[in-house]
Amino acid sequence: MASLFKDPAKLSAYRDRRFNGTQEEFEQALLNSTTVYIGNMSFYTTEEQVYELFSRAGEIKKIIMGLDKNSKTPCGFCFVLYYSREDAEDAVKYISGTILDDRPIRVDFDWGFVEGRQWGRGRSGGQACLLWNCDISTGMERVLLNYYFSGGYGKLVQRELEAQRQLVDYGAGSLGAFPPVMPPHYGKHGGGHGHGGSYRHGRDSHRKRDRDDDRHGRESSKRNSDHESRRASDHDSRPEKNPRFRESGDSDDEEEDDRKRRP
Amino acid sequence: MSSWKSLLLRIGDKSSEYNSSSDFKDHIETCFGALRRELLHSSSEILPFLLQCSEQLPHKIPLYGTLIGLLNLEDEDFVKKIVENTQDSFQDALDSGKCDIIRILMRFLTVLMCSKVIQPASLVVVFETLLSSAAITVDEEKGNPSWQARADFYVICILSCLPWGGAELAEQVPEEIERVLVGIQAYLSIRRHTSNSGLSFFEDGESGGDIEKDFLEDLWERIQVLSNNGWKVESVPRPHLSFEAQLVGGKSHEFGPISCPEQPELPSTISAVAYGKQKHEAELKYPQRTRRLNIFPASKTEDLQPIDRFVVEEYLLDVLLFFNGCRKECASFMVGLPVPFRYEYLMAETIFSQLLLLPHPPFKPIYYTLVIMDLCKALPGAFPAVVAGAVRALFDKIADLDMECRTRLILWFSHHLSNFQFIWPWDEWAYVLDLPRWAPQRVFVQEVLEREVRLSYWDKIKQSIENAPALEELLPPKGGPNFKYSGVDGQGKTEQEQALSAELSNKVKGRQSAREIIVWIEESIYPIHGLEVTLSVVVQTLLDIGSKSFTHLITILERYGQVMAKLCSDQDKQVMLIAEVGSYWKNNAQMTAITIDRMMSCRLVSNLAIVRWVFSPENIEQFHLSDCPWEVLRNAVSKTYNRITDLRKEISSLKKGVISAEEAASKAKADLEAAESKLSLVEGEPVLGENPAKLKHLKSVAEKAKEEEESMHDSLEAKEALLARALDENEVLFLSLYKNFCTVLMEHLPDASSDVTLQSLKSIHGDSMAVDLEESSTMEVDDENGIPKKSQSNGGKASNTCNVKEKEQWCLSTLGYVKAFSRQYASEIWPHIEKLDAEVFTEDVHPLLRKAVYSGLRQMSNEL
Repeated sequence: MASLFKDPAKLSAYRDRRFNGTQEEFEQALLNSTTVYIGNMSFYTTEEQVYELFSRAGEIKKIIMGLDKNSKTPCGFCFVLYYSREDAEDAVKYISGTILDDRPIRVDFDWGFVEGRQWGRGRSGGQACLLWNCDISTGMERVLLNYYFSGGYGKLVQRELEAQRQLVDYGAGSLGAFPPVMPPHYGKHGGGHGHGGSYRHGRDSHRKRDRDDDRHGRESSKRNSDHESRRASDHDSRPEKNPRFRESGDSDDEEEDDRKRRP
Repeated sequence: MSSWKSLLLRIGDKSSEYNSSSDFKDHIETCFGALRRELLHSSSEILPFLLQCSEQLPHKIPLYGTLIGLLNLEDEDFVKKIVENTQDSFQDALDSGKCDIIRILMRFLTVLMCSKVIQPASLVVVFETLLSSAAITVDEEKGNPSWQARADFYVICILSCLPWGGAELAEQVPEEIERVLVGIQAYLSIRRHTSNSGLSFFEDGESGGDIEKDFLEDLWERIQVLSNNGWKVESVPRPHLSFEAQLVGGKSHEFGPISCPEQPELPSTISAVAYGKQKHEAELKYPQRTRRLNIFPASKTEDLQPIDRFVVEEYLLDVLLFFNGCRKECASFMVGLPVPFRYEYLMAETIFSQLLLLPHPPFKPIYYTLVIMDLCKALPGAFPAVVAGAVRALFDKIADLDMECRTRLILWFSHHLSNFQFIWPWDEWAYVLDLPRWAPQRVFVQEVLEREVRLSYWDKIKQSIENAPALEELLPPKGGPNFKYSGVDGQGKTEQEQALSAELSNKVKGRQSAREIIVWIEESIYPIHGLEVTLSVVVQTLLDIGSKSFTHLITILERYGQVMAKLCSDQDKQVMLIAEVGSYWKNNAQMTAITIDRMMSCRLVSNLAIVRWVFSPENIEQFHLSDCPWEVLRNAVSKTYNRITDLRKEISSLKKGVISAEEAASKAKADLEAAESKLSLVEGEPVLGENPAKLKHLKSVAEKAKEEEESMHDSLEAKEALLARALDENEVLFLSLYKNFCTVLMEHLPDASSDVTLQSLKSIHGDSMAVDLEESSTMEVDDENGIPKKSQSNGGKASNTCNVKEKEQWCLSTLGYVKAFSRQYASEIWPHIEKLDAEVFTEDVHPLLRKAVYSGLRQMSNEL
């Protein structure tokens, strides 16, 4: 609605190098698309979590998880297909920059999913991945980028940084700059429960896939964000596992096949 | 952006454009200086931008108005154009019923009057035109009182101008403005009081004699106080006063008369239904902008003058309206309003009133979720505590809160907490465990936890309630599937069934086609084992194969949906199919809902089958305990509605296509005819018709265009037929829904003759429970700091929330959902009301059900 502040150049900030067509066609595809791209997700976020959050913007047609080319496991991004353009717009407007599974996710229009795009494009087969680090205790949100640089992702990274800036800088109002995401205190009861959610119980679950190298940055960020930093020293340094993540079982190959077959 | 643009945009803000000065007079002088320089060569750019700014930043209108007043001294023609432009947009907005534009332009005109750009008398003419249209509308003989919503809107617009220019009007045209106010008073005496019973947030005190003031009555009272205070308003800046000496020198421009649209025609037959339909239509077009929530103690919000509250609400609502989608600007304008007092509580209450607004908020609830999050980050010291206060206040009154609002509150709260590490002082609410299972507060906590788990995962949420570990009891089950043939525990299933399931599973793994599996079932399973076993084995096994994720589910339904479709060919079997889904996912409400929803998407089950399943005995038992059956029902009705909406959209775009195809065809035909009738020379001889090659080409173009037109017509007809069928199906759906509601409520409600009301249902107490409650609340009064908790301080509330007996709570919840469904789909239900009245809401339907439906539809209460 507020055309006064809309940046008309925003749509075309990056261009997917797999798109076959002109820049205009690419922009047109973005303008009509009912698909959104979601980035900076946790590797353990499930489709059902995505469904719960994104269905609040409208009826979802499909979810396509981005998968690591080699391990065929989620690698931090996905596509959500809506039935209506309006709902896709609302997802971009209202969900981008908010938290899912403890991570600020980014939501953008996508020109539409085609087969093959679910595979990560990082050098190691994983997503060219971005690791964000929220350090609450210093009152400053720092961004640590830790990515495998590859091809078209250079611009993507830049966009990511811009998005992040937008997240932090709210400062035009009379009430000064925004502090970073921090636990709110709910009157007398708030604040005291700082251990609200940074370490997890029930980490007894299976650890089949070893992806420590991909994840150490994120792990340490989670630790730092804990109020009780002593926890950082005694915590299990191996990756935590979202127990809701349903392990691929013996029919794994077939399931991957399913994904490939989807129209 | 050129500097005059950013100066215009940022005027009034503390920003670098104005060297962080916050003096409005400086701002206006600086901006005026810049504009004056540009006026000569950029006036055609300045004009639309200035108008756009005043429309989209209405809280800055006084600044823009003064600026225009100063420009008027420089360039009368420029300002004349502004006035003319405004007049055109205003007339256009009146004709097309654009409420926000009407309202904002009237404020703009008022401010122009303050800056001497237009005469006070012309503004009074505008007021009188609107007022007289309003008065005719509510006149029973000359007008059409069912359109009171529009009349009220006009009068609200007049009153809304007065904080911006009441003082000037009273000073310059005292008699005229007095006449307007007397006219409004007269209008108020003829119009009907708007009963809010269908749209109010809380269902309480309806039997009480004290009728709450409606929005217009309330505003009228605030304006009267304002008038008695000599029109002093703290919340409206009056920058024109600093420039008064200059402004008086300006030439006032003509603001010509405006006209209100014709009075809407009366229905051909006068009946309560026809009246109700028109009223519904009018209220859709002229909706009430806000409804006050009043959740905070008066001390938090009422230290302001009554009018300031109204003005600040206007500011906030306008920012929410125009800055939807611009997070940064939205948050910074929300916190930086030009008022000399704090307003966090008012801001929270306004946002919550929008989030919960009935029947629909202007935007999706998730927008307000985002705004609240951003404000918590913008004002970390103040706003989170206010939000928490709102949550506590709503939680205290949850038993009276409308069902739809409860659902929205649950979705908002879980989402909000998920963005703030799930931190909440749950120990404050641990006492809900002492309440019966059906106590609304307990159900609320349970549903919030359910949604939190969906957004996160079980262990994480378990850990987030560490400060009240007992609440683990209210967490949903850990969510895995409940596969009958998992082989872990026998579950009383025969080995034979187990083997069948394994065989089917192998066939799927072996990539047998749906066709092959259907043949296998029809030849060797169904005839031997019968329907029940076959259905159970097939459905459970396929669901299990598709259980890993949403995508797996979709894939299995795409590939083997036909197998289920073949097996469940009629509604009875579809109900069995859904029941099987319910049993497989009994520990996971989300997967139950998603699976049923997907099955409806691929037309494996009909909405009617879903309704029947929702009203099956095991679900009926859950009506007051869990959102699960309601979620499934909501999905089914909303999917039906979405399909209809899509068809309507397609039809409207096809209609446009048909028109342009018709035009193209007739143009092609005309071209061809013109060419045919033209004489041309072929081999020296004059021949009728242009050269053959061109003619041939034109002919084929004309034929193609004709074909195109016909095919457009055909697809339009096809879609219209589809829509007609969908509407019929919709009627059947609502008939079935209401019949089911009717039946179950009849079984549970006390005898209709005993004159029951919702209030009396609530006051049927279980004595033992009242005692329990008292104990639990005394226990809760002291927390570890020994400070009595706010939520308990008004103990009366807590006690009336949970000593309702189970059966009564069941009735209250179910009636609440009846009202919520009726209200949400009112526009779809009204066209079928005659049929519903004839077949469902007959004489012997329970009065409480009828009341719930009609108040949801906003049928006038006195017609009941």
